[in-house]
Amino acid sequence: MLRECLGKELLFFDGAMGTLLQDQGLNAGEYPENWNITRPEDVIEIHRKYFEAGSNIVLSNTFGANRLKYADGIYELKEIISKGVAYVKEGARLGAARGQKAYAALDIGPTGQLLKPLGSLSFEEAYDIFKEVVIYGEAAGADLIHIETMSDTYEVKAAVLAAKENSSLPVFATMMFDEKGKLLTGGDVASAMALLEGLRVDALGINCGLGPVQMISILEEIKACTALPVIINPNAGLPKQNEKGTYYDVDPDEFAQAMKQIAGKGAAVIGGCCGTTPAHIEKMIAACRDIIPEKGIEPGRTLVSAYGAAVEIGDQPVIIGERINPTGKSRLKQALKEKKLDYILREAITQQDSGAHILDVNVGLPDIDESEMMQEVIRSVQGITSLPLQIDTADTVTLEKAMRIYNGKPMVNSVNGKQESMDTVFPLIKKYGGVVVALTLDEQGIPETAAGRMAITEKIIKEAARYGIDKKNLVIDVLAMTISSEPDSAKVTLQALRSVREELGVRTVLGVSNISFGLPSRPVINANFFTMAMQNGLSAGIINPSSEEMMKSYYGFCALMNYDSNCEEYIRIYGQQPAADQLVPKAVEKSLYAAIEKGLREEAAQITAELLKEEKPLDIIDTHLIPSLDAVGQGFEKGTVFLPQLLMSAEAAKSAFEILKGEMAKAEQSQEMKDRIILATVKGDIHDIGKNIVKVLLENYGFEVIDLGKDVEPEIILQAVETHRAELVGLSALMTTTVVSMEDTIRLLRKEAPGCKVMVGGAVLNQEYADMIDADFYGKDAMQSVHYAQDFFNGNNK
Amino acid sequence: MDFRIRETIRYLGYGKHAVDEQTCRLIAESFEDLELVVRERFIYRIFAIEHCGEYQIRIGTIEMKSKYLIKNMMGCSKAVLFGATLGIEVDRLLQKLAVTDMAKAVIMQACAAARMEELCDRMEAEIKAELPKPEQTMRPRFSPGYGDLSIEYQKEILRVLDASKKIGLTMTRGCMLSPTKSVTAFIGIKDQKDI
Repeated sequence: MLRECLGKELLFFDGAMGTLLQDQGLNAGEYPENWNITRPEDVIEIHRKYFEAGSNIVLSNTFGANRLKYADGIYELKEIISKGVAYVKEGARLGAARGQKAYAALDIGPTGQLLKPLGSLSFEEAYDIFKEVVIYGEAAGADLIHIETMSDTYEVKAAVLAAKENSSLPVFATMMFDEKGKLLTGGDVASAMALLEGLRVDALGINCGLGPVQMISILEEIKACTALPVIINPNAGLPKQNEKGTYYDVDPDEFAQAMKQIAGKGAAVIGGCCGTTPAHIEKMIAACRDIIPEKGIEPGRTLVSAYGAAVEIGDQPVIIGERINPTGKSRLKQALKEKKLDYILREAITQQDSGAHILDVNVGLPDIDESEMMQEVIRSVQGITSLPLQIDTADTVTLEKAMRIYNGKPMVNSVNGKQESMDTVFPLIKKYGGVVVALTLDEQGIPETAAGRMAITEKIIKEAARYGIDKKNLVIDVLAMTISSEPDSAKVTLQALRSVREELGVRTVLGVSNISFGLPSRPVINANFFTMAMQNGLSAGIINPSSEEMMKSYYGFCALMNYDSNCEEYIRIYGQQPAADQLVPKAVEKSLYAAIEKGLREEAAQITAELLKEEKPLDIIDTHLIPSLDAVGQGFEKGTVFLPQLLMSAEAAKSAFEILKGEMAKAEQSQEMKDRIILATVKGDIHDIGKNIVKVLLENYGFEVIDLGKDVEPEIILQAVETHRAELVGLSALMTTTVVSMEDTIRLLRKEAPGCKVMVGGAVLNQEYADMIDADFYGKDAMQSVHYAQDFFNGNNK
Repeated sequence: MDFRIRETIRYLGYGKHAVDEQTCRLIAESFEDLELVVRERFIYRIFAIEHCGEYQIRIGTIEMKSKYLIKNMMGCSKAVLFGATLGIEVDRLLQKLAVTDMAKAVIMQACAAARMEELCDRMEAEIKAELPKPEQTMRPRFSPGYGDLSIEYQKEILRVLDASKKIGLTMTRGCMLSPTKSVTAFIGIKDQKDI
């Protein structure tokens, strides 16, 4: 019923609930949902008034009702929700006197906690919390599920999945944006809408945070992203503060006039949020009653997103960084096998800094659990960059798990024209949303002609449509094969690119560097082909963004085609570069010792590379690196060198080590078994800077650090001790409340891994406290931890 | 030298020692990078104070046990309760730096702390300017975790301020504020200046 009239006639929400409850005596800090038990008649009365004002959809008084808030057991969550829904129905019975359509919406607000990796709530926990609410709400007879006031894309994804997987009701979702059109967690309008559309909500939009006037431009942005019905539920103006707290001052008439404008601009469902009253809603309905919402027009934009700004694969080509893929990369293979995520994270950031817009993530190696690793890498990479990711795997299980935990609307690599491939990949795109790379090959292989590749493209578009996947969510890879074995290959690829782009109107992608396989000086061919491909309609190039030649092609192309207005980007990047003949070779006389002492990263790396021509890696470590680090460490302990300098030296040493490790990995010279130390910030604690400082220094001194991250359960630490057969654990905690978890962890380790020693550190700790919780060692600063570890592994304090 | 830079240097533990040039440059750079991601938000309310017994004090609906807080609120009839945050993107920046450059991460951490103090000071001045009577004065800020005031009260403070919804300020199960660069505090309001 609701689904049928949605978008065809203007529907009206109710206004604020909390504001009215406060007027009737709800205390600051008291949960409004408690009134479902304590003052039901007041709740019903408010619903009745809204129906009487003409609302079609009224929200149950369950905004904050979830198991996190109702953990104390005073009220039962199920009762709060069931009654909440029942009261809307009762309100409709009493108040829908105008005979309007009346729907009871199960209202779901945010959990009130931040999700991992920055907060402490896991995606799966958030899902379970919402699932419980959805089940109670549907059982109580709700007509739809309304998810609102969301400021985190990850949380809204958990909520929408919970709603869709555990009920058959229509699902609406609205986000809260600020005046700059951003979510509290940093996302923009396009990224949030791309995500919600991908998850196939029935209607989407914005509520709270802003008044109606400020929402107009956001409505326009939403309409530029999607054809779905749009919901606009503003506050009665921008929030203002006085000593009693927040208040709103747009009156019903002013509100109604602004809402009329909003309805005229194509909103399909409108109502009010904080500060609005039945009077606001009544005036709004009177002003808008005769407006028929304009039909949504599909803007056809290819959007991918993470939690930050969306990336559009449009007329201006974008760059997909190819570096997180183990094929042919020994260091990355090693990092994956050893679960050294830091290496992968640095690859991610390097590509971002080099200009990548999207990052490909492929972790397929024969002897690792691809699905687990993919999830871990995605979570970690999403902790440090907001670039959208391209999930690159041939394994369907890995793909589904990765798409599920991904924060945003991902790019997926890939589907192809084989029926089996389409049968497995398209259902996942349908469920989770995404832009999928479609390879123009099928059961018969790769067609030799452009026409053959066109035909497969058409087949794929048609099959996708059967799943309701619009062609805007397909990016066609017409495939580049090396010209060294197929002389016409580049010509065929370019022709196919142009046809697919111009005749079928779909976006395109290529793994560009395949073209030169087997030839010398590959960058020459690659960069030229890249330019030619862009000129022939390439929308996205999968390339190495650290390759200077490729980026020159890219920035040159964008400047020439006027995608780079006033050549600003081009000038920013190339304007400062000195001419080649003025380049002075850097770091000629400086020693590695001095470079580390002074904390000069680039120099340290450069000099190390030079030294490698004459010395062995291990000799460089012993004769240059360690003495310099020792000198700095001693300075730190004497109070002549300070923490920032100590760490600059540590980072310089690290850059030297990176060069040496690369060399050793190349020579497959496996290093001697290193002494292993497990590090973790304890459960409940999200401040990990202290632990990270200790880690950098321990690694400098040659220890192998297994970093378990922050907010780590005691059981996970024990498990790591057992798997890695570690004899030393370092724990950090910032606050008295989390020292308790530290104590729990030590107790568990004493019991289950009695041979293992524990060193501790953190702001609230001191020797006395450390003794009290039974730690073996208290490190006042990072250098002390290093000394303890050295003594320990030398057998001095075992 | 700028107040914020002085504060940052103090947080970094330099004491009276001179700061090297490289660190100075990184501090200046960090403040620039920080400003690109800071999205400051704050919220406050003013409540009446009730003393209920020797160790108990009630501010609005929050009843607390703390000798230090009672001492801090001596002579005050009202108190400001506020929450402020620099936003979650600062945390992301810190996470990124922890992977790419620990020295910068430590410096950024100190810069963000100084920036947070600055926001609190500015807020305090704004609230003070709006006090109804000119003779009213404000006591120093007092946050959960100071002295004997348990950080467990964080939960009620956030609830009373509706901080999660209004400014995106939440806490973890261990009562840590998240985003990490955030503050909640009480500020006592005195009706007259100390004599």
